[in-house]
Amino acid sequence: MEPPVKIRINSLSFCYNGRKVLRHTSVSFSTNSITAIVGPSGTGKSTFLMTLNRLWEELPNCSLQGTVEIRFNGVFSNIYEREFAVEKLRRQVGMVFQTPNPLPMSIFKNVAFPLELAGEKEKDFIRARVEEALQKVRLWDEVKDRLSESALSLSGGQQQRMCIARAMILQPEILLLDEPTSSLDHTGAEAIEQLLLQLKQNCTILVVSHYLDQVKRIADRVVELRDGQLCSR
Amino acid sequence: MMRFLEKVLPLFSWLCGAVLVAAISSVTGYLLFKGLRGVNLGLLFGTTDPVAALMLRQQVFDGLFPAMVGTLSLVLMSVGWAIPIGIAAGIYLAEYARGRTKMIFNLLFDILAGLPSVIIGLFGFSLTLFLNRHVSEALRPCLLISSIALAFLVLPYIIRTTQLAFESLPVQSRMTARALGASRLQNIVHVLLPQAFPGISSGVILAIGRCAEDTIVIMLTGVVASAGVPRSLLSPYEALPFYIYYISSQYGDQQELARGYSAAILLLIICLFLFSLAFLIKKGARYRTLYRP
Repeated sequence: MEPPVKIRINSLSFCYNGRKVLRHTSVSFSTNSITAIVGPSGTGKSTFLMTLNRLWEELPNCSLQGTVEIRFNGVFSNIYEREFAVEKLRRQVGMVFQTPNPLPMSIFKNVAFPLELAGEKEKDFIRARVEEALQKVRLWDEVKDRLSESALSLSGGQQQRMCIARAMILQPEILLLDEPTSSLDHTGAEAIEQLLLQLKQNCTILVVSHYLDQVKRIADRVVELRDGQLCSR
Repeated sequence: MMRFLEKVLPLFSWLCGAVLVAAISSVTGYLLFKGLRGVNLGLLFGTTDPVAALMLRQQVFDGLFPAMVGTLSLVLMSVGWAIPIGIAAGIYLAEYARGRTKMIFNLLFDILAGLPSVIIGLFGFSLTLFLNRHVSEALRPCLLISSIALAFLVLPYIIRTTQLAFESLPVQSRMTARALGASRLQNIVHVLLPQAFPGISSGVILAIGRCAEDTIVIMLTGVVASAGVPRSLLSPYEALPFYIYYISSQYGDQQELARGYSAAILLLIICLFLFSLAFLIKKGARYRTLYRP
């Protein structure tokens, strides 16, 4: 039986700095699956991810047409409807960027930050969730004795794993990853791949990747972005 | 030619730096040479008992203690007015204002930055006259009016440094917290503001220095030669820059001039104290906001 659809995109067009990145493209993504988005550099794969959590709205000179519907609690909602709270959306749709982007805070604060933003005040609960998230990305043992040190002191691979932990701490239903292993060595990349396979039990994952062998290893489906259109491969 | 420039340019830069250090050292050295001998309790409290003066039980008539208190109060009050307004305006310009609104505000703040201090002084003076005629006759040139006028003088420094500090933050910093579900305000308060602290604090330090040295604004708005320690915000007050100006232009003998040099050293000490305070607050606030687990 086909897993239910989680994201439904209908006739989506996106323009950035006068350049058409997406042209009336329609596609859907299944629940609890890993979809790899591939395509030549500069075609707008990262930008496409940003249309799913409305992050492009933070950039100047962008415009979007069409609908993006996500199923929350069994009901599809158009995330571009006026009454749809963008902050709430971004807590349900986590994102990890290509280059690790730790905030200039301690390791603990970085990971706990989304919980605090969401209004969580219970310190013991926050501590437990931080530990759980760091253990999931296999970083806990490496950082448990230096949680109050700056996150900038971590290595590139550790920073990326911390960013994934941070994106996962709110237990989002969707996870967007923009080339998450591009700054990691082989071992680090393998750990992330294992993690993604584990996470997909409870999460719909969209990952932009240039590594075809990686795509083959983890993706349930491969979608190519070419000339503004998303097509299954 | 390029190779010649490659060698000469660093040398020239080093030389400029050295000239600057030499200039600052010679001015400070000259000041210390001329005035350090006079810096003692007598300079501050004259013949008054220091403890009684510090407890405000006795007025000091022949020492610089009232001028020190006046200067310190004036700087703290002025910067106290200017910091919240300046930071808020800087954040508005960097994060919210767009298009024509931003252009108009930028132009207005540029004009404010370019106003000569005598104009700000006249504004303070006119404000006093207006308040005296229309609000209460008790309102005369005083510490409150001076601090407001000085706040206007230093506002552009704080606005501009805040705006620049925010605008120069990398786009990635701006996007990270937003991607994690931070609202615009949460992003500003928890992420951007702590990162912009170093930039903002340099604006505050500039503002402190400007408030401490300005003479013309306070001459028109409330400073007097002898008033004692200000008893309220509506009192006239004494201030070190005015004392230094007064002594250097009307000294009777070399001893009086030496007191002027000593007063200048006191002013430097006050500035140093305030700069250190600003630095410690910056460091403490950054640590508290960013690193405390």
